[in-house]
Amino acid sequence: MTIAIILVVAAVLALAVILRIAVSGSLVVAGDATLARQIQPLDVEAFRNLVDRLEEDYLRRRLPPACFRAVQRQRLRAMAAYVQTAGRNAEILVRIGQSALPSADARTAEAARQLVDQALLLRRNAAFVLLRIYLALAWPNAGLAAAPMVDHYQRLNSSAMLLGRLQDPTTPVRISS
Amino acid sequence: MLQAHSPLWHYLWAAPNILLLFLAFLLWRRHLHRAYPFFFAFAVLGATAQLTAYVTDISLFIADVTWWRIFWVVLVAEGLLKFAVIGEIFSKVFDAYASLAKVGRISIRAVGVLLVLVAAVAAAYSSEEGIQGIIAGAHVLEQTIYLIECGLLVFIFLFAGHFYLAFPRPVFGIALGLGISACVHLATWAVMANGGLAESPDKRVLLDFVNMATYHVCVLIWFYYLLARQEAAAKPPGSLPPNNLDVWNRELERLLQR
Repeated sequence: MTIAIILVVAAVLALAVILRIAVSGSLVVAGDATLARQIQPLDVEAFRNLVDRLEEDYLRRRLPPACFRAVQRQRLRAMAAYVQTAGRNAEILVRIGQSALPSADARTAEAARQLVDQALLLRRNAAFVLLRIYLALAWPNAGLAAAPMVDHYQRLNSSAMLLGRLQDPTTPVRISS
Repeated sequence: MLQAHSPLWHYLWAAPNILLLFLAFLLWRRHLHRAYPFFFAFAVLGATAQLTAYVTDISLFIADVTWWRIFWVVLVAEGLLKFAVIGEIFSKVFDAYASLAKVGRISIRAVGVLLVLVAAVAAAYSSEEGIQGIIAGAHVLEQTIYLIECGLLVFIFLFAGHFYLAFPRPVFGIALGLGISACVHLATWAVMANGGLAESPDKRVLLDFVNMATYHVCVLIWFYYLLARQEAAAKPPGSLPPNNLDVWNRELERLLQR
């Protein structure tokens, strides 16, 4: 009977998850004009400095090991904050892109498709990078390969800008400063 | 009222399946069966199989053991069709996004393997004393199918929800109906497969009513999402926030020169 209780609880939780996601409307395209305002600009150069391997090697050489670990943890926390924001921006851009996908203008629809694909890639990479950052927080001496995400983020910028221009040539979207 | 072979019992077993056949007919009339071939097959074959089980159940000429054998065939066929429909939902949602299709495919396979293992463990520990093996086996098979189905659908909902992937409206309806049905059936079959309420058969019949009523609701959900006219598409965001054009231009040029 224990198995029955476990499975009933699991079924109730599963139903709650399905209904919550279904009711929240996150799976339904919604053209919300305020979405673009929720994007937080990110300083890509600052992030690039933060993930710079040379900078890390310099700190490793210059600082005592304990001090290096403390500094590296702070740098990793800052990286995590950047990546989380990038992930949130990507989420907003997915939604903006989804709402522009059915556009009658072929160029806008194509730009939206590119934006959605790159934003999804960034969101996926953000999840992986965050995982690596959290692992690195436990072992700060180990290296961290967050750098490839910067390139994805910059490609995402260009897609967002292209879509913004196609939709409204006077007001492009900016997701990095 | 809430007893086996009561008018409500007859209605709840037969009506959803007749409605599902009617839905399949309407899908065929609107040429939607080409867009959702596995759901169409599920609607036709699943409903036909359930109606066969219903007719043989009320028939006086079918022995109990024969009925349970028919029930086993229905169960296996329906289970395979449901997994095919889940595959259809997955491909309709994820294949549209090249950047996620591969990771999604790998993830759902891993989840599938894990669910099969969990279902096997749950089946091994399930025990229903005092009834024939063919009946107990059918109950455990129901529990196993719904456990895997429920897990796969929850994964699809969670994965799509995390990435804010938009479901096409009919696919959303199919997934929602199948998901609700799988969760409720998992709970009820888990109780039955583990000997719950064994001392009071009247209460066990209530679980049948819960299953049948849920399935009826799910068929109506499929009707609504597959046939009701879709609202006008959401308007794309008109005004985007004011920004620094020259910085963007510099960034774009820099990217073009890379």
